[in-house]
Amino acid sequence: MKSTQYSEKVLDHFRNPRNVGTIENPDGYGKVGNPVCGDIMEMFINVDKNKEGKEFIKDIKFRTFGCGSAVATSSMTTEMAKGLTLDEAYKISRNDVADELEGLPPIKMHCSNLAADALKAAIDNYLHGSKPDVEVISSCLITDIEEIKGLEQFMGKGVYKEISDFNNLKNKRILILDRGDESLELALKLIEYTGRVVVVTSAKTTPGNATIKEKLRGSDVKILYQSELLEIQGTNDVEKVIVHDFDEGEKYELFVDAVIV
Amino acid sequence: MNIYLDYQAAKPVDERVVKEMLPYFSDNFANPSSLHKPGDIATDALKKSREKVAEFINAPNSSDIIFTSGATESNNLALIGTALKNKRKGNHIIISEIEHISIRNIAKYLEREGFEISRIPVDQYGVIKLEKLKQQIKDNTILISVSTASNEVGSLQPIKDISQIASENHILFHTDAVASESSIPIDVQKIPVDLLTLSSNDIYGPRGIGALYLKKGIKVNPIMIGGGQERGMRSGSEDMPSIVGFAKAAEIMKNQIISEASRLEKLRNNLIKGVLETIPKSYLNGHPIDRLPNNAHFRFDYIEGESLILGLKDKNIAAATGSACTSKTLEPSHTLIAMGFLHEEAHGSLLLSLGRYTREAETEKFLEILPDVVRRLRILSPLTPPSLLNYYKEVQNKI
Repeated sequence: MKSTQYSEKVLDHFRNPRNVGTIENPDGYGKVGNPVCGDIMEMFINVDKNKEGKEFIKDIKFRTFGCGSAVATSSMTTEMAKGLTLDEAYKISRNDVADELEGLPPIKMHCSNLAADALKAAIDNYLHGSKPDVEVISSCLITDIEEIKGLEQFMGKGVYKEISDFNNLKNKRILILDRGDESLELALKLIEYTGRVVVVTSAKTTPGNATIKEKLRGSDVKILYQSELLEIQGTNDVEKVIVHDFDEGEKYELFVDAVIV
Repeated sequence: MNIYLDYQAAKPVDERVVKEMLPYFSDNFANPSSLHKPGDIATDALKKSREKVAEFINAPNSSDIIFTSGATESNNLALIGTALKNKRKGNHIIISEIEHISIRNIAKYLEREGFEISRIPVDQYGVIKLEKLKQQIKDNTILISVSTASNEVGSLQPIKDISQIASENHILFHTDAVASESSIPIDVQKIPVDLLTLSSNDIYGPRGIGALYLKKGIKVNPIMIGGGQERGMRSGSEDMPSIVGFAKAAEIMKNQIISEASRLEKLRNNLIKGVLETIPKSYLNGHPIDRLPNNAHFRFDYIEGESLILGLKDKNIAAATGSACTSKTLEPSHTLIAMGFLHEEAHGSLLLSLGRYTREAETEKFLEILPDVVRRLRILSPLTPPSLLNYYKEVQNKI
């Protein structure tokens, strides 16, 4: 699928973006930057109280640097948020925004769909005075782990955040998410204990710094390029995972014993 | 008016070429390997086509031309074929950092198969650094592959110097001439290359056909094995309509390349002048002079390329960008990164490529439309400084 195969609704919001601009001395301000794709979005909000005395978003403006979907998701988020109470607005998720836009190309889901995060940052900034700049690392190259189905359910039952005893994983089939150099080093370490280590990365080529790249190439670690982990399944423990290859647009199952996030 | 400024990506087939091809679909359909009369007609057409393509690059023997399914296959045959043929002599291959993706991915494949690849860096204009090339040459170097020009920023490469360096060191030299074949004449006798890749579509012939020039005496291992067509270098029954079309396209191009290139260069120069004059914070990428006559490559501060392309698309303009957001992997153009661009600078790039059917009315119309598309996106962008926003407001007020 071409990265620019957008729905009519996306194109409409790109052509006629709503609520563009800035608010001088806003009540809340949030900015989200994505270091990999380079997208930058900023949101300005003014807050007022409604008849029930609840705080709501009275005015909202945005500015965005990025591709067509970055502009469209920003515009849509402002349209969705305007008039909502802060509680309601805070619940707007990336998926909600994408759904309202009648979908986004798969590769753009994580990368150029950060407007909801910018809105949350603006609300946090208003409520708690938290710093408005948020660097979203869950971007193009790293799967947003909160969106993996079954992650919570199997936490500790095959899903691990860190490994205390490597011997427990001897001869196990292990899937590791590429979350930067540390995770890749872990993969290289684990391959000493078990011959079956798979790394899921959204990168197109061998990930990691130069040393890691070279080690990975020389190792038995299997790398699934341009892919993301969608779901973890099993009865009691982890049995298999669903992986999405967004280059081929394919979803497939993989049998594993452990997932490291 | 539809404006097409993406000739680098695809070119229409010249009507004269289509006309030449038509009889070979149903009337003269025979296989050139057949011994009967219809077979002879095909054999004759194949021979004449090979001669025309040879003449196009001034190859001394028509048998130096190997027809393939296109430039990608030619590059595969050149690199993999040479690597396999010479693996006893050595396993080191040199390419540049800004090669076309086909060369880069073939190199990666060979790397995985145990060959050693060196990638020569380029300067800020996207021109290969000859000193670095010389430093990389080793006893086990078997092949240097550098394209005649960057298909992206259009910078011409010092092919003559590279061919000299290669021959002094007894290393084979391959060049992918696809980016330049419609605007710069090729003479393999003047610039002695060993292998050269040609594409048919890039000279307004049909797609799905190309050629590899293989200098007499140079041997490669075939990668397509079968009935031994094309001197055994590329098996498979010849695609006669395409071969005939390719040859016609080469004949036409040979006759008009100089005048066509000079016409396009004038249009292109007006385009560059117009863009840089009317759009603040715009820059030309690539070499200011030594570049493909039909290529213009720009960078605009504060905006992103995909949204620029979408904005232009709404105005019926077809153009391209090296922006990360349009690639499958969301990685920015390797060429721009190799030239030393920061990621954010590579984002706002615009590639315009002109061709045989580009008219002045189109480039003029483009120059009318572009500033407004850029302005609109800059007003949206949090990166645009207030001074520039004020400038746009003032311009708006004047209108």
